[in-house]
Amino acid sequence: MSAQTLGWLGIDRAALPGALWTLVRTDFKTRYRPTIGGFVWALLKPLAMFVVLLAVFSLVFRSEPQYRLNLIIGLFLWDFFVEATKVGLVSIQDKGFVLSKARFPAWILVVTSAANAVLTLLVFCVIIVAFLAASGRPPSPLAVGLFALYLLHFLVITLGFSLAASVLFLRYRDLNQVWEVVTQAGFFVAPIIYPLSVLPERVHAFVYLWPPTPIIQFSRRVLVDGVVPTARAHALLTLGTLAILGAGALIHRRAAPRAAEYL
Amino acid sequence: MTPILEVDAVSKTFRIPTVHRDTVRAHVLDLFRPRPSRPLRVLDGVSFAVRPGETLGIMGRNGSGKSTLLKIIAGIYRPDAGAVRLRAPLTSILELGLGWNPELDAIDNVYLLGSIMGLTLAEIRHALDSILDFAELRDFARLKLQHYSRGMASRLAYAVAFHAVRDILLLDEIFAVGDAGFRARCEARYQALAASGHTVLVVSHDTRTITTFCHRALLLEGGRIVAEGDGETVCKAYLALVDGKPGA
Repeated sequence: MSAQTLGWLGIDRAALPGALWTLVRTDFKTRYRPTIGGFVWALLKPLAMFVVLLAVFSLVFRSEPQYRLNLIIGLFLWDFFVEATKVGLVSIQDKGFVLSKARFPAWILVVTSAANAVLTLLVFCVIIVAFLAASGRPPSPLAVGLFALYLLHFLVITLGFSLAASVLFLRYRDLNQVWEVVTQAGFFVAPIIYPLSVLPERVHAFVYLWPPTPIIQFSRRVLVDGVVPTARAHALLTLGTLAILGAGALIHRRAAPRAAEYL
Repeated sequence: MTPILEVDAVSKTFRIPTVHRDTVRAHVLDLFRPRPSRPLRVLDGVSFAVRPGETLGIMGRNGSGKSTLLKIIAGIYRPDAGAVRLRAPLTSILELGLGWNPELDAIDNVYLLGSIMGLTLAEIRHALDSILDFAELRDFARLKLQHYSRGMASRLAYAVAFHAVRDILLLDEIFAVGDAGFRARCEARYQALAASGHTVLVVSHDTRTITTFCHRALLLEGGRIVAEGDGETVCKAYLALVDGKPGA
């Protein structure tokens, strides 16, 4: 299509749903070798992590009554964050052949790359809710609704990161290694295996600056404690999320038109 | 008549770094050192216009800027200066031998490439059989691309692209793919498209392609247009250039 008729999406609107669906479907097929077994296999890693960490740290934090529930929520959300950002960072490079053949907007490659992680997250959510119910704490509809809202924020945060990182990766070819180190450190910054209460109160604000922290903590508050965070806390979360998306979209918009030259 | 495509003083320079620095590590370690690079001017103020239904050939030696020009017209690269004005949708058939998803079979790859080229799912579904027939790959439709030869993969790509053609068509070395039978089918399809009023830009080294299929041609050298006219004239200038006669 001509540049004049494509609009800000960068693609003919009639072709957009087909392009999104085909990229998601082929990505899923490539990754899981079109079997349900392949998909289940992908779920085993975080489940195995959960079992091992639970065995070790439930002894350390024996005084924490809801440690198991908090751990499973933290761990599954963290797994989504690492997977989605890892795949998102290399999404343009991985499907670069698409950009060298026709005028095609790079943002579609970034957005569709998150689909597998989202699917896994949905399965995790079912497991989390089932786990809560089995532990005698079935979450209220309000809690589930708020949890879904936090997940939406989380998705937007990972998209904002991936939009920027995917174009920067084309110029900084070790960015994926740098990000791996950051996420390894980030695993311990976010209160996943330890309760936030073990840290002195004055550092809490800093821990909350690491985006997975508020998502994990808010989810635990509504699902496990049955407490809804304040309106101010929600406003801050939404503002922070939009800021990350805005920054990511800006960097992407600046660098994406020249992406094909760096492939 | 208003041109359907205008290329207006398009220039493009690639900066070729003489010291390679493409990692965070290298940038951190060399933070305060200058980054030497050499400019490579690939296109230098190229201007031309194409009328609706016209077929324009573009010739030039390797490195003369032909492929970069096509990529700029296709919207894959951005010009540093100048502009490309399109007044109709465009389909580009560039570098099609490369870059399939080898883990997927032919049908999935047809969907992948078709949707990248702007076809809807319904259009792809409708055209699937004729795409496989055109490429003569119906028997291998469920074979993963990693088991395809390069020629088979190219045939499939061209078959998809020929079904995705909008008003303007960009072709890069189109008739260098496949065996004689496939080339003949490509030529027939190409002629049918040109006859039905499509505007076509063809890049080729092949003088027969330019003289047979193009109303008009231009010759690029060093990123500038050095000759323009009918196919025969430009082919002569091209051959003189290749033979090392400057000023042709």
